[in-house]
Amino acid sequence: MRAVGGGPVRGALLREPRLLLRLCAWSVAETAPALLVGLAVARAIDDGFAAGRVWTGFAWLAVLGGAWLVAAVGARQVVLTVGAIVEPFREDLLGHVVGGALRRSAATGNGPGTAAVARANLQVELARDALASVITVVRSFAFTVVSVMLGLGALAPEVLVLVLPPFVAGLCLFLVSLPALARRQREFILTDERTAESLADMAGALRDITACRAERRVADDLGRQVRLQERAGRALAGVTALRTASLAVGGWLPVLLILVGTPWLVRGGAGAGVILGALVYVTQSLAPALGNLVQGLGMSGVKLRVSLERVLRHGAPPLPAVERRTPEDAGVRLRGVRFAYGPHAEPVISGLDLSIGDGDHVAVVGPSGIGKSTLAALVTGVLTPDAGEVLVGGVPAELLDPASRVLIPQEAYVFRGTLLENLTYLAEAPAEAVEEAVAAVGLTALVTRLGGCSAEVDPGLLSPGERQLVALARAYLSPARLVILDEATCHLDPAAEAVAEEAFARRGGTLLVVAHRLTSARRAGRILVMDGTDVRLGTHDELLASCPPYAELAGHWNPAETQELVP
Amino acid sequence: MRTADRLVVRTLRHSGPWLYVLVFTSLAGSLGELALPYVLGRTVDTLVAAGPASRTWLVTCGSVVVLIALCDILGVWAAGGGGARATRWLRLRILRHVLGVGPAMTRRFPEGDLVTRMGVNADETGRGPESIVTGAALLVPTLGGLVALVLIDVWLALTLVAGLVLIALVLRAFLSTTTSLAGDYQRTQADIAARLVDALSGARTIAAAGTEERERARVLDALPRLRAHAMDMWRTNAQAGVRAGAVVPLLEVAVLGVGGLRLAAGDLTAGELYAAARYVVLGAGLGAALGHVARLARARAAAGRLAELTEVPVTAHGGLPLPEGPGTLELRGVSAGVLSGIDLVVPGGSSVAVVGRSGAGKSRLAALAGRLADPEAGRVSLDGVPLPDLSAEALGAAVGYAFERPVLPGETISDAIGLGVADADDRESTVRAAARAACADGFVRRLPLGYGTPLREAPMSGGERQRLGLARAFAHGRRLLVLDDATSSLDTVTERQVSRALAGELRGRTRLIVAHRAATAAAADLVVWLEEGRMRACDTHARLWRDPAYRAVFQAQETVRAGTS
Repeated sequence: MRAVGGGPVRGALLREPRLLLRLCAWSVAETAPALLVGLAVARAIDDGFAAGRVWTGFAWLAVLGGAWLVAAVGARQVVLTVGAIVEPFREDLLGHVVGGALRRSAATGNGPGTAAVARANLQVELARDALASVITVVRSFAFTVVSVMLGLGALAPEVLVLVLPPFVAGLCLFLVSLPALARRQREFILTDERTAESLADMAGALRDITACRAERRVADDLGRQVRLQERAGRALAGVTALRTASLAVGGWLPVLLILVGTPWLVRGGAGAGVILGALVYVTQSLAPALGNLVQGLGMSGVKLRVSLERVLRHGAPPLPAVERRTPEDAGVRLRGVRFAYGPHAEPVISGLDLSIGDGDHVAVVGPSGIGKSTLAALVTGVLTPDAGEVLVGGVPAELLDPASRVLIPQEAYVFRGTLLENLTYLAEAPAEAVEEAVAAVGLTALVTRLGGCSAEVDPGLLSPGERQLVALARAYLSPARLVILDEATCHLDPAAEAVAEEAFARRGGTLLVVAHRLTSARRAGRILVMDGTDVRLGTHDELLASCPPYAELAGHWNPAETQELVP
Repeated sequence: MRTADRLVVRTLRHSGPWLYVLVFTSLAGSLGELALPYVLGRTVDTLVAAGPASRTWLVTCGSVVVLIALCDILGVWAAGGGGARATRWLRLRILRHVLGVGPAMTRRFPEGDLVTRMGVNADETGRGPESIVTGAALLVPTLGGLVALVLIDVWLALTLVAGLVLIALVLRAFLSTTTSLAGDYQRTQADIAARLVDALSGARTIAAAGTEERERARVLDALPRLRAHAMDMWRTNAQAGVRAGAVVPLLEVAVLGVGGLRLAAGDLTAGELYAAARYVVLGAGLGAALGHVARLARARAAAGRLAELTEVPVTAHGGLPLPEGPGTLELRGVSAGVLSGIDLVVPGGSSVAVVGRSGAGKSRLAALAGRLADPEAGRVSLDGVPLPDLSAEALGAAVGYAFERPVLPGETISDAIGLGVADADDRESTVRAAARAACADGFVRRLPLGYGTPLREAPMSGGERQRLGLARAFAHGRRLLVLDDATSSLDTVTERQVSRALAGELRGRTRLIVAHRAATAAAADLVVWLEEGRMRACDTHARLWRDPAYRAVFQAQETVRAGTS
């Protein structure tokens, strides 16, 4: 726990020392019966019923009943206080998961899938429940042990000599076996999850497995996993038995020793009530507390640790703050740019030199997977080149003030909120400017349908094309002088695409369009053809004459020139 | 006996010797627990009175305690070990069966359902033996405790029964309130998750705009609401738990009071009073014992769900190898699903396109051609051998399948392409040649670890997955390639390159291509035109193209595509 989860757990415990104090105070109330139970039973019998003083007996039982009621109130407050401690802990972890997922997807452009997010959320819940259970159990154990010792001391101090040594021995046995227990429990949880994952993968791939006649190979792989799980289960059973043994030593041995020592206690003046009271202390308070500790630390402790590991793994460190700079203009220069997705991978872009003047309109074309989006990400500064430099208005792209350029990717981002919030996401704008932008990119129909800019939008209810129009209007409204459209109009029909692109051309500034259709490419002044790491820049006519890959692309962009480049 | 019960019994048998250990320890342990309060009480009585039998009672009591502890330890061990063993047997049996049935299984059961059956249900059934034994054994001390209490004093027993009813009522009230509270809580949680999913879909926009922190705050907007709901749940939890928790001790106090009166009257010894108090606690455990009966019912239900899986027959393979031949595919009088009366011969080494509107039976035909499914009537054979007579190995080496949305099992890219390809020295070169033919080599080599890149770390577009799926098919189908809409996500240039490979280096193989584009049909030697499960025509594309109804098939497809894109 110290290695991975110490931070969040310690933080949760120490955040409000007041809560810890409250927890301790109510714990005293909750463990009142542990202090009184043996004493009350012993006195009720010895001084009361056995001595013929019935009312004394009832008085002691009333004290005991009262203690149980106080304990009930205490237990309620303890649960509430534990809740107040672990809820902020859960919020921390959730914040960590959310922040990590966002930062990681921002850094790589493709974050964890929704399934991964759901799993992380589940782990957060598990971690919270496990922490609550660990706090409850450890605290209850500590207070119960102290109460029992005080109670036994008041009842007959000599009993402590019989109870303490075996109890401590059992506790030590458990603590010694705890690391092994934790390891086995952890292995069991992990193999169980891996088995479930492999089974799910198998079920999803049945058609493909049969098609490859790989049934035997897959059965062997899964069989290995299932056997690993059996082994983990058996190993866990072994250490659980050991855990139970420590309970026997700590919980049952004191009972036997009290019985063996009874003649000695009786010689010292103890009555049947004292002996029974001592037995009640051990069987009703001490042994259950030890049992809960053993169970709680052995299971919840391990679960807490495993889920915390998962949750923290989903995080990502905050991005280092860099000083953002404003460019002189919106010209783009790439010099000797090289980029690969890993040290052993072949470069996607290599030795690229490119110069786009301020106010130019350039289209990028090429087959899918060739690196067009990588180029867009490099110019935006989301990716940094392995070699060479990408400058926007003289400033390295990764240091550029985000307000000075805007990227619209293929998958338009629309969030739950009003349409106006969505449109002014990048920059505040007066109502007239919003109206103008809506009209310019062709969003008017949607605004009318939704009933104005203040209407709430549910992204799930918009078509992909409508979402793209919202993103386009948002970019149109931003003050950025450099606009990068990465297939940002692919879900629009050719006419709507023309309206949007022409709006951006009129808007001024530099326009870099990763084109989806030939018509879109032809609207640009110059066209960049990417084919492997071979890159050409020229006008449509120049490229038709000099660039065979472009001619081939253009040749297949028929019959109507509006056919999609990438279906 | 029902299949489900048979499965539970067979699972029980596969727990091995553990089961006997568990039965013995559970029974002996629970008898010990039942005896202990009485023995303990008597021992204390005789010891305090320094009676003559005190040594005997002490030894008896010690033996009972040791027996309980040993049974506990052994029982835990046996339950864990036996459960693990039974679950392993059961799970291996089920997963081999599921693999043996193949895709017909997912046609019968939805994928998620299948996973639940193989995972959770197998676990529950595997733990069935433990539930039966522990549940049965738990009844001994609880029922026995009640009987013992009745024997000591009827009024004590009545007090206990009243208390148990009270606990049951409290628990019922608790359950009804939590479901509604949990509903609010889950809705708020779902709201946060939905916002996060939205934000993740806009990852690139957010990265470019540098608004990660703002998005984080927006997603976590509902946290205060979530905390309020959570604290409500803690409150209910606290209340009900405390009420239920206080009942048993208060009952015990009441029993001690009534028993104390009897003690004062001399009808009861101090030891018996102690025993009565302990029997109250044991008797109150009845609820937990009944909980085990519910677990047993669950195990039986789970076994029933597993039995449904084992009732689907396994696909049997013959033992014949494939004779030398050009790869002639023959369908005679084949009917399956929508398809009926299909007679078709695909000459070895030729390419045949299958076209038709959606629902015409194209994919079913493709599935029959390489025995992904068996026809309900008629016969499918390759180079003269009926497919069911071929061994699985022969089929795997002869037929390669590529799909519109391939699923790629395997650890690495290389693994995924070579899935099911026999381990041999030339495996890696087969994989690479196949990848080159499928135009996958270029992008694979640009991945962080090239062909060794783990699939989980290689985010791929639909087109890239299709290219890996094609490569996998090329690595397999030495004689017959079945491409079921397998190039739909490729851009025009890449598709042309793949077509070139199909017409070039893969020329010798028979090709059955489910096609949506006219260009693909035009490139094939022959076109099979399906309409509502029947073969409307089988001719060259050029001749068929004169028929307006044939042209309409492609126009309809294009419109559908434009609408969905």
